[in-house]
Amino acid sequence: MKKGILILVLGLVLAAAGYGCVYFVCTSSARHLQCGSQPELAWLKDEFKLSDAEFKRISQLHAAYLPQCAEMCRQIEAQNQRLRMLLAATNQMTAGIDSAIAESARLRGECQRNMLSHFYEVSRTMPPEQGRRYLAWVRERTFASGAGMMRDNEKHHENDK
Amino acid sequence: MAMNTNESGNHDEALHKLLKEWRADAPLPAHFQAAVWRRIEQPHAPASPSFWDVVTNWIGTVAPRPAFAAAYIALFLTAGVAAGLTQARQETVRVKGELGDRYIRVLDPYQAPR
Repeated sequence: MKKGILILVLGLVLAAAGYGCVYFVCTSSARHLQCGSQPELAWLKDEFKLSDAEFKRISQLHAAYLPQCAEMCRQIEAQNQRLRMLLAATNQMTAGIDSAIAESARLRGECQRNMLSHFYEVSRTMPPEQGRRYLAWVRERTFASGAGMMRDNEKHHENDK
Repeated sequence: MAMNTNESGNHDEALHKLLKEWRADAPLPAHFQAAVWRRIEQPHAPASPSFWDVVTNWIGTVAPRPAFAAAYIALFLTAGVAAGLTQARQETVRVKGELGDRYIRVLDPYQAPR
């Protein structure tokens, strides 16, 4: 009886140990990616199989792009705020609203141009095959998919259905 | 002692005589004989073992067999490893997906959290 119980318990303990060891080992790469100061860049290196030199160059491009991006974010937020105030102040189309919408569109275009230039530059730093894969991926996530305002519009139209 | 034996023999004889003279007129109930035999046999029928008896007996006899023990441990170990692999794969996909989203959110002002 004791031997039988011992075998049954041993089976359960080994199953739990096997689960824990395999889980710990197989998730170590994901944990490692999350540990750094810029996990999104560590992910980029891992996902697109970048060499250290390529990664260093891409990190520099990334660091150079971030201030531009932050400035665009600031301008977009300020413009959105301005548009919200104009919309709240009236119940008809005005010249102010018209110019605010045009300015929002201009900002969006500028933002997309900057982003696309950065993506092209990053893709050129990668090996050709990975560069193509990277471009396809960012295109899918930013331009081809419903992102930002486009995503909000899609949600709006989903509610109409 | 001899007197006692004589007295008991007399009583037996009287009892035999009385029993021979006795006639039962009341009819027996239906299937009386079958019911009597059933009652006689009942205590000898083996009692069915309880669930717990079956389990303890199985643990005591089947589990310690080397072939069973090896198969059982191999099966559980394989199940644990397979579950660990599946969960780890799902977790890795989830983490990488989140980091990919984060990369895009960092670069695209229109997807930045507001």
